[in-house]
Amino acid sequence: MAITSIKNLKEFSTANERFEGAHLLCPGCAHSMIVRELMNATDDNLVLASATGCLEVCTAVYPYTSWDTSWIHIGFENSATAVSGAEAMYKARKRKGTLKDPDAPVKFVAFGGDGATYDIGFQWLSGAVERGHDFTYICLDNENYANTGGQRSSSTPIGANTSTAQAGRVSYGKKQKKKDMVAIMAANGAKYSAQLAPNKWKIMAKGFQKALETEGPCFINTVSACTTEWKFNPKDTIHITDLATDTLMFPVYEIIDGHELNILYRPKNIIPVEEYLAAQGRYKHLFKPENKHVIERIQKDIDAKWEYLQRREEARV
Amino acid sequence: MAEKMELNEIEVWDGNYAASQALRQAQVDVVSAYPITPSTPIVENYGAYVANGYVDGEFVMVESEHAAMSGCIGAAAAGGRVATATSSQGFMLMIEVLYQASGMRLPIVLTVVNRAIASPLNVRGDHGDMYAGRDSGWVQIDAFNAQEAYDLTLCAFKIGEDMDVRLPVMVHQDGFVTSHTAQNVKPLSDDDAYNFVGKYQPYEEMLDFTKAVTYGAQTEEDWHYEHKAKQHKALMDSRDVIDRVFAEYKELTGREYNRVEKYFMDDAEVAIVALGSAVETARYAAEELRAEGIKAGVVAPRCFRPFAFDGIREALENVKAVSTLDRSCPMGAMGTLFNEVSAALYTTEKRPLVSNYIYGLGGRDFSVAEAKRIFKEQKAHADAGHITTPIQQFSGLRGPKLGFFETKRGN
Amino acid sequence: MSRGVLATEKRGMRELGAEEFVGWDEVTQGTILPSFEKDVDAAHVRPEERPYSDFNSYTATVASWRVIKPVYNRDICIDCQNCWVWCPDTSIVSRDKQMLGIDYDHCKGCGVCVEVCPTNPKSLLMFGESEETEEALAKWPEKKKKAK
Repeated sequence: MAITSIKNLKEFSTANERFEGAHLLCPGCAHSMIVRELMNATDDNLVLASATGCLEVCTAVYPYTSWDTSWIHIGFENSATAVSGAEAMYKARKRKGTLKDPDAPVKFVAFGGDGATYDIGFQWLSGAVERGHDFTYICLDNENYANTGGQRSSSTPIGANTSTAQAGRVSYGKKQKKKDMVAIMAANGAKYSAQLAPNKWKIMAKGFQKALETEGPCFINTVSACTTEWKFNPKDTIHITDLATDTLMFPVYEIIDGHELNILYRPKNIIPVEEYLAAQGRYKHLFKPENKHVIERIQKDIDAKWEYLQRREEARV
Repeated sequence: MAEKMELNEIEVWDGNYAASQALRQAQVDVVSAYPITPSTPIVENYGAYVANGYVDGEFVMVESEHAAMSGCIGAAAAGGRVATATSSQGFMLMIEVLYQASGMRLPIVLTVVNRAIASPLNVRGDHGDMYAGRDSGWVQIDAFNAQEAYDLTLCAFKIGEDMDVRLPVMVHQDGFVTSHTAQNVKPLSDDDAYNFVGKYQPYEEMLDFTKAVTYGAQTEEDWHYEHKAKQHKALMDSRDVIDRVFAEYKELTGREYNRVEKYFMDDAEVAIVALGSAVETARYAAEELRAEGIKAGVVAPRCFRPFAFDGIREALENVKAVSTLDRSCPMGAMGTLFNEVSAALYTTEKRPLVSNYIYGLGGRDFSVAEAKRIFKEQKAHADAGHITTPIQQFSGLRGPKLGFFETKRGN
Repeated sequence: MSRGVLATEKRGMRELGAEEFVGWDEVTQGTILPSFEKDVDAAHVRPEERPYSDFNSYTATVASWRVIKPVYNRDICIDCQNCWVWCPDTSIVSRDKQMLGIDYDHCKGCGVCVEVCPTNPKSLLMFGESEETEEALAKWPEKKKKAK
């Protein structure tokens, strides 16, 4: 696979952009940062699929496309299956000798938001991974159905305010824990399952390259801070993502072949989660005295998860 | 290299096996499929071909019918020949994706083995699934027996992949009555079948890397209408290609297919319009009644979509009384064939009498005797000059007679 | 007329929503959109050399989204590429490891580039949309002293 050098940012910056501007994503949207990091991480040909959602709706509205590679959107559930079909066709045509350029390297990548990945497209993703297609699935995780105005998904964390699991007089927002897709995908048979963040560009680019190079299905959950639904100033996307990774709300780690867990980023100073929560409008209700217990719960969960990750990394299972 | 099969001049195949052989001979690049009664054997047979070296393409066993059609779309956009099979609940699950396939103008062949829709759950044959997909933008052709299931599946590839069409195509056949009934089938040799279908020609394929294409763009209020109108026109215009492909097939095999099939219609005074295996039942009935002096005929809109508004009108305009048989319960309205046939006949001078029978739901048998009874009822209408029964009735239903609406046309 | 950093004729030609509304007979089949007018291996060709089709959003502009804009100060910049990697709109133009400037056809004025710029003073700062670049550069602040 032809990879861009990511020795340092200067090297990385020599990539030829294949994601064009004048798309409709919100100013400051992390989706775009993540997509650019992926597309710049390799100069192989790419066949991409997107589920219905912010990315799709903002990059392919007739008569415009922001994609400089082949790209397909079918529906909400099925970006993983779209790519499964394309990958199968590639294999068939290669075998039959009907490809225009049979030696040209190609990578298959499917994108989906957390709504598509954790909820409505869960079965489709699970099937594609189980079947072992050679593709990478990237979840652009902004922890809600952002495209339709911020409804809860099973990726929405405890205590977050969304338009359906609302914080109000008698409720503190979402009551259920966030689903652990990285673990689920590892158990499902993903050869590589990871959580990456765009602020740690080098780790992300390296992880993307690893996934693209790995033969078989790979899953990457990416932290996509959403200025519109998390409610922060668009200029602060990277700052919020820094808080996400440094509070360990979003630990950055990988699971190889379902059992080898590696923590990829260890914050020099672990920041209390309160700082992360305080920076976003979707959590501001947690600072009312009656909701303080939720913040304590969130911190406890983070601590437990970090402990678990470290133990598993140590145990090499 | 896929192995070829030596086939007999006459084989004994059921509709499922016939369809699966056609898929094999067409050298499909990707079959993305899921099993469901009664279409399961199509997928199983195909699996047997794959396991024994008769298939060069990929066989993707997905985790649901929605995924089956989704995989077909991804594969078709990647520039190759694609097919799958389903029925009933699977078809219903797939419906969202059917619209997506046709909207993207991707040639895909779907063999539908028609089965009733739950609830209540039923695995037998009726046309509930066929009707449910009628607005999905696919070319839809109906096979009445195993030979036709084989022939029309081959034709489907050629029709859908034609550069003037580029639309997905369904080939329907009755669940169990056709799909599981072994009949004589005259197949083509592997070479003849493939040569008839021809080599797949890609159009705007995702695997041509120097020509990046975007599939599935969104269209808002400024663009959606023009795109849907263009798609509708393509489906309407596919009539010419369907006729041409049928003519080519006739030259190759001697077997003739028409978008509107007519049996004993030259001087028919009463007619039955039907789809599926009931067409053959009605033909028997018509032949027997002719001996009794009743000028009975049968019309079948074999090409259900695009619907031959003009062809149906032409076939029936001089008939006195027409009974449209719908093998699906319309729930609160007249049956689909009744509506579509009546609409066509409304634009004629003579305006034949048209009545509606719901029949055969969930695999309820439809007999020659019942077909004759319906013909005789048409005769009574014709003689009286108006419909003498409720306009919509249920054929073969136990319990008190069920009928809806009376005509307002008197003597 | 200079239209900005590495702008080809096609870049930012029209406002989004200002395209010609053609009829059903002229829209593309199946809403399929070709990204380019001619064959091109995009990964190995620089954007300014690609044969973009009119369907590519490269040819559209979202300049009207801005009320504030980033101004780039070449004298202070150290070419770290932070702004390049994190720009959501592919609007920081960098070639051969050197920053060239801002693509004002595609920049939405989000301000991320300013936030991630590590220099002191920053090499990118936000100004009002109507501010002239020369005036903005003349107003550039001094190095911030660290608090004791």
